[in-house]
Amino acid sequence: MTLFSSLGDGYVRRALLEVVIVGVLCGAVGVHVVLRRLSFLTMALTHATFPGVVIATMLGLGLVLGAGLFGVLLVAVVAALTGPRGAEHGRETSSVTAVVLSGGFALGMALMSTQEGFSRDLTAFLVGSVLTVQPSDLVVSAVTTAVVLGVLAALRRELHLAAFDPDAFATAGYPARRLDLVLLLALEATVVTSLPAVGTIMAVALIVGPAATARLWCSRTATMTAMAIVVGVAAGVIGLTVSEQWNVAAGGAIVLSVAAFFVASLVLRSLPWSEPVAAAVARRKSAGRPTYSG
Amino acid sequence: MSRPAAIVFDQASVAYGRVPALEQVHGTVHQGEIVALVGPNGAGKSTLIKALLGLVPVASGSISVLGRPPALARRQVAYVPQADTLDPDFPVSVAQVVLMGRYRRIGWLRPPGRVDRDAAADALAAVGLAHRAADRFGILSGGQRQRVLLARAIAAQPAALLLDEPFNGVDAVSQEALLATIRTLAAGGAAVVVSTHDLGLAQLTCDGICLLNRHQFGFGPPGEVLTPDLLRAAYGGAALELGDRGLIVTRS
Repeated sequence: MTLFSSLGDGYVRRALLEVVIVGVLCGAVGVHVVLRRLSFLTMALTHATFPGVVIATMLGLGLVLGAGLFGVLLVAVVAALTGPRGAEHGRETSSVTAVVLSGGFALGMALMSTQEGFSRDLTAFLVGSVLTVQPSDLVVSAVTTAVVLGVLAALRRELHLAAFDPDAFATAGYPARRLDLVLLLALEATVVTSLPAVGTIMAVALIVGPAATARLWCSRTATMTAMAIVVGVAAGVIGLTVSEQWNVAAGGAIVLSVAAFFVASLVLRSLPWSEPVAAAVARRKSAGRPTYSG
Repeated sequence: MSRPAAIVFDQASVAYGRVPALEQVHGTVHQGEIVALVGPNGAGKSTLIKALLGLVPVASGSISVLGRPPALARRQVAYVPQADTLDPDFPVSVAQVVLMGRYRRIGWLRPPGRVDRDAAADALAAVGLAHRAADRFGILSGGQRQRVLLARAIAAQPAALLLDEPFNGVDAVSQEALLATIRTLAAGGAAVVVSTHDLGLAQLTCDGICLLNRHQFGFGPPGEVLTPDLLRAAYGGAALELGDRGLIVTRS
């Protein structure tokens, strides 16, 4: 295949490494997004981060640094307005989210239209350009992934309870708002990190898609996380392969792979024989030792 | 009653913002007692439970839980929500749900120990569902899920237990299992507050009744509170007269 024959090129190797790292990160974070039904908020974060990217470029800051700083600001605003579970102060979360989404996007467009080479750069920001990933981007991605995975692993029990039963979490005396904030920051870090590879629009697909696919198959959060990571990485590698083979845009090919995984799973799971198979798998699991693991 | 007080309402009123939701609640739940909150829909039963959890502020008067303000007593209080408020598709096993009751004791960043696993397993056995430990929570029946949530509360070994409509839509087997477990817990010294629509059940199983509809109509032993006069006053048009035989209360 073209991908393997072109692995001699540094930029292809970097691209492959980047999609693997981003696939792992997005898959793991996406599980929490899907379990807490934060897909729409994630969509808004990706779009509202867009002006941060543009401002960073205009000021000559690093893209990830600029977008990251802007993202932290954004998380503060979102947390103040809604909190991830939203509506605590009577605001309807999806409306706030929709306005933030379109407003942020419009700001990015407006800023960008003042620059030369408007449409070429726009495409890169919207759908990413994984083939131009720099070694420094790889380092940032790897470090972010390690930190975010570490936080998610350390707080996995609390995050699990908060997603499953937010009332019980709050009534047990946990600092619910602070945990929400941690998750929001992890999510924004993921969005910013995936920007160079897949762009603002595609990032949401890479975060939500693999986890939503895994949710269709898994009955434990641990297996769901593992499967989401596998799907995220697989979609990245397949997308890149397709892109190299047929000269399609890499970002588009990656997201189409994610979509293909999801649609195929949806179809397979809705087939009449799918439920008995799943039940049989569940029964086989039940026969094993019950695990009181967190 | 010589047993120490666990929950004390002293002319307590609860409000959402400036809108009063519930006024003038006055009474005591002692350790080892089961008290039912009864009243029509919208009477303020859930509001009172939220106030006991410190989620809704007390506007006037006071509520004390285990000698402290409600928000500071949370770690010793276990709350059992209605099972159908939880997502049945959530990827979590029955055993994991029960173990969640131990999380606060386990603390941050530490793995559950032998004691925690045993407490969770014992709690699940107490509600009669030890054989379903490895199943996904969502595939259980509504009544079984309610029992699992009670097991989660028991695993926390609380000094006070709050249950929000635990018998709604629950089959007879599960209802019996829930009641037996609640009685055992109360016998062990826990104070239990349970909201319910089922006046018959409340009368049969509870030591005390708190009759509510926006304000308190009675707080005391079932025989003193579940009287036709008080029920008529609390339920208004939803109380149907049955001549001198008494009255029945419709659920509307």
